[in-house]
Amino acid sequence: MSINRRQFLSLCLKGGVSAAALTSLQLQALTGSVNAIELGDYKALVCVFLYGGNDSLNMLVPLEGEQRSLYEQSRQNLAVSTPIALNSATNFAGGVGLHPSLAPIKRVFDSSNLAFVGGLGTLLSPTTLDDYKNKTVTIPKHLFSHNDQQASWMYGREKQSLNSGWGARLLERLEQQDQFAANISLDGTNLWQTGNQTKAFALNKSGISKINAFSDYKPRMEHVTTIMNRIMSNTVHPLSSAYADSFKSAINNTQAMNNALETAPALITSFSDTSLSEQLAAVAKTISVQSKLSTQRQVFFVSMGGFDTHDNQLDTHPALLSTLAQGLSEFDSAMKELDMADKVTAFTMSDFGRTLTSNGDGTDHGWAGNQIVMGGAVKGGDIYGELLTQHLDGPQDTSGGRLIPSVANEQYFATLAQWFGVPSSELVDIFPNLSNFDHTTLDFFV
Amino acid sequence: MHYKYFLMASSVLLLSACGGSGSDDTPTINGNEIPILSVANIPSDITKSQTIELTATASDNDGTITSVIWEQTAGLKVLDEPIAANSVIINIPSALSYSPKEYAFNVTATDNEGAIAVKTVSFIARNAMDEFAAARLLHQGSMGPTLNEIRKAQGLSEQQWLESQIALPIEYHRSYLVKSPDQDDFRYINRIDGWWKATLRSDDQLRQRVAFALSEILVVSDANSSLSSQPEGMVTYYDLLLKNAFGNYRELLEDVTLSPIMGTYLSHLGNEKADDALNIRPDENYAREVMQLFTIGLEELNKDGSAKLDAQGNTIATYGQSQIEGFARVFTGWTFADSETFKRKSRDYIKPMQAFSEYHSSKQKVLLNNEVIPEGYGPEESLQIALDNLFNHANVAPFITKQLIQRLITSNPTPQYIERVANVFNDNGDGVRGDLAAVIKAIYLDDEARHFGSVLSYQGKVKEPLLKTVQFWRNLDARSLEGEYRTWNLINNYGQGPMRSPSVFNFFRPDYQPAQLRSDELVAPELQIAGDTTLIGTMNEHFSGLVWGTAEARDDLNPKELYVYIKSDMSFLKSNGVGALLEQYNVLYFAGSMSADTRQALLDLDAYFNDAEYRERVSYLLYIIAISPEFNLQY
Repeated sequence: MSINRRQFLSLCLKGGVSAAALTSLQLQALTGSVNAIELGDYKALVCVFLYGGNDSLNMLVPLEGEQRSLYEQSRQNLAVSTPIALNSATNFAGGVGLHPSLAPIKRVFDSSNLAFVGGLGTLLSPTTLDDYKNKTVTIPKHLFSHNDQQASWMYGREKQSLNSGWGARLLERLEQQDQFAANISLDGTNLWQTGNQTKAFALNKSGISKINAFSDYKPRMEHVTTIMNRIMSNTVHPLSSAYADSFKSAINNTQAMNNALETAPALITSFSDTSLSEQLAAVAKTISVQSKLSTQRQVFFVSMGGFDTHDNQLDTHPALLSTLAQGLSEFDSAMKELDMADKVTAFTMSDFGRTLTSNGDGTDHGWAGNQIVMGGAVKGGDIYGELLTQHLDGPQDTSGGRLIPSVANEQYFATLAQWFGVPSSELVDIFPNLSNFDHTTLDFFV
Repeated sequence: MHYKYFLMASSVLLLSACGGSGSDDTPTINGNEIPILSVANIPSDITKSQTIELTATASDNDGTITSVIWEQTAGLKVLDEPIAANSVIINIPSALSYSPKEYAFNVTATDNEGAIAVKTVSFIARNAMDEFAAARLLHQGSMGPTLNEIRKAQGLSEQQWLESQIALPIEYHRSYLVKSPDQDDFRYINRIDGWWKATLRSDDQLRQRVAFALSEILVVSDANSSLSSQPEGMVTYYDLLLKNAFGNYRELLEDVTLSPIMGTYLSHLGNEKADDALNIRPDENYAREVMQLFTIGLEELNKDGSAKLDAQGNTIATYGQSQIEGFARVFTGWTFADSETFKRKSRDYIKPMQAFSEYHSSKQKVLLNNEVIPEGYGPEESLQIALDNLFNHANVAPFITKQLIQRLITSNPTPQYIERVANVFNDNGDGVRGDLAAVIKAIYLDDEARHFGSVLSYQGKVKEPLLKTVQFWRNLDARSLEGEYRTWNLINNYGQGPMRSPSVFNFFRPDYQPAQLRSDELVAPELQIAGDTTLIGTMNEHFSGLVWGTAEARDDLNPKELYVYIKSDMSFLKSNGVGALLEQYNVLYFAGSMSADTRQALLDLDAYFNDAEYRERVSYLLYIIAISPEFNLQY
């Protein structure tokens, strides 16, 4: 802990953070009094990031009654016409239905391994339309901007100097940051997994990454490797050093991962050939060799692009949802096959929801939306948070059908963090805006 | 400001001394003929670091010369005090900046009666790049220099090279786009093939590099997009960047905005005015990104690129939803050129879009800086006003020039460097805003780019992975026997490919900061794509390309497969030895920055092989160079 504490202190000082501004957890870290957390069993979080801003309000739509007519009036030609009814009590009096393209996850929902969380978005404190219009509460910066809102979902707190992703913060709090296999991305670098002391290992979605140079004639290979190691060690320039550092860890970690993956059992569950399913297959494969990687906690990042449906939404969005649902359903089967379902929770994040109004054949950047959480530990078959009334110019519409969230994304993150092993008393340290809300967590875990 | 001056000065020698003349004309003072003084011609092209001799010849028709004295009247001090001699040797100081330096000297001859004759010698000494300076400029200013290009640039001044590059005819990529045999249509891979050919073969390398940089700022992509079936349109978009690379940013912005490729990518093509009954309002996609990414960014900036802060110390947003909606209205009514009607589209992905007024929102449009387009304006007029409004915003200069500097020169430019270039963006010296030729020259000629004066410890940038291979392929004549460059795996191998970004936010963001650089508060955008899989992919590509994939390593060549040819390096090694080869590589691949440690490591690598294993020796040297941290930095 002492090295981490020193690094932490030095980062605080460089970042210009005064001791008075430190949270209780940070103060404890400075004084060395953070309690080590005993991690009993293995757990993993799998983030499925839907890049571009998923029109997630269209994943769950009202079936009948006033909600339905407000919905149809608002969404016009983009209203979902043939939803699949879900057996779930919700705030929609006429019942709620699933987008038909999500059919593959209906099975998972019905088996109580999948839940939805409604009305989520970036919020700093509870916000009403009056608050928004009169600026009586602080509004998150750069709403509706892709990269800023992606960052705010990944950071799990407002932008600040030396920020870090909340996935990385969980690993650092649970002291898993030294295990490279604790932090794995199937889609390269992302902020969610980048912390002060950890960054993601990038795993090829085909699993093993063969290193060509190491299959060379052995004595020559060994000589060349010695030279390579030498050349990677004598760097002076900070950018060259950062490159060399990344290069060295890529080699070491890829070799270690290859060794572990070579022992992976073949799965009966088959995955589709979409990019998402391939990524999830690689996650499943990695989880299957978890015991060889000697890590008790893992966070995984997979992603899908294309959700920025300004155009042609009636064709593209159903296809995207279908790919998503197929991938999630396959992953659920694989986890059950590995008997890991209770230990692994997958969840979605996305830049933002989208406008209720259309631009003719698509939608624009909105705010609140719905998310999916899946795993054996999830109290599935239910909907948490709040399904927002899809009502243009209604009580939560800032303009054009950009709805104010009723649940902060940090409440969603904190629930996942608590399940992952962060003590309840420390959730506010990791997600500072929670102190502005009555509840720090939602109730979607068993 | 000074560009005209340079053009004139760089080749002109001002020599006021002229030959002697006959005694008949010699002026007299009080009956004493003044001395006859002449100065020997000096070379017509003088460069810094050069040594020249100034020689005077003096005589006196009616007496004797008692003294000939040289003194300096202008320039960096080379004569500390007047020197009495017919000839003086002048050691012109080495370059301290890119600007030509004027020197002037007076020579005074005095006769026995005290009469004097004075002549002046003046000249302008220009920079002459040595091989390292030339290599460094070309690493920054080309897609990856060849040894031949470096040798040709050597001896020129920096601005001579830049100006000669800017003057070259444009090598458009469209002329390299050809259909594959047996195919009726252009395919995606044809445009990649064309990109390689143009990149490898064209002489206008500076323009190619600037256009490549622009393609990462004004991003379009056919990755995961219907645009992958429009390679001809995509190439036309790239050509638009080439065309405007040294033009005006305002024109570039208009060409980009009206490109049907951009119109498709950011969905303002086919965007129409609001229909309140159907809750339809204009698409906000292009309105948002043209501001956030192509012109002004999210926050008000000072001219040096730093964020402006309000009284509470908070950043200030450049625009809000009303501006988004204003610009969204501006970009309504546009569709493919030569369409019969707005809805009956021509699907012409080549020509700039055309407008249909009846689909354009004629409502009032709120722009930046409190400017408003009143109700009733049509699509063309609105577009002109709106693009002028964007272009004239004070953020454009720091926002765009900083990114150009980052793409071309250094990841972490000082605020002063940004401000110097931003000033040129705002006014090229003739009152013209947005002159990219002037901006590009200012970027490359700046002391911070050229390393005149003290060099920052963090100067430079990590090379883009794709451009590393470009340099090897340009030097090693990479080709397949059939002649096509069918590189399908660009993203796996490099994490990037031309116009293949996963989103309009490019492969990497300008402010990406890897964990290792946090404490130094430095950014390294290119390291955002240096994830483990990409690093291994690039390493594999270098190994299989430079070790397994040389033509010399194969008995039979597969006509479809791409090989590099290393035979000229092999024969150079055979004739001159490994030391000389490393000297050459130091110029070519390291621009002179190969450290003693790296050199020793390469020598030790080479010592493993038998002397006559020339192919293996060259291959492994190139491979280790390719992955070495020093080569991976553009310093």
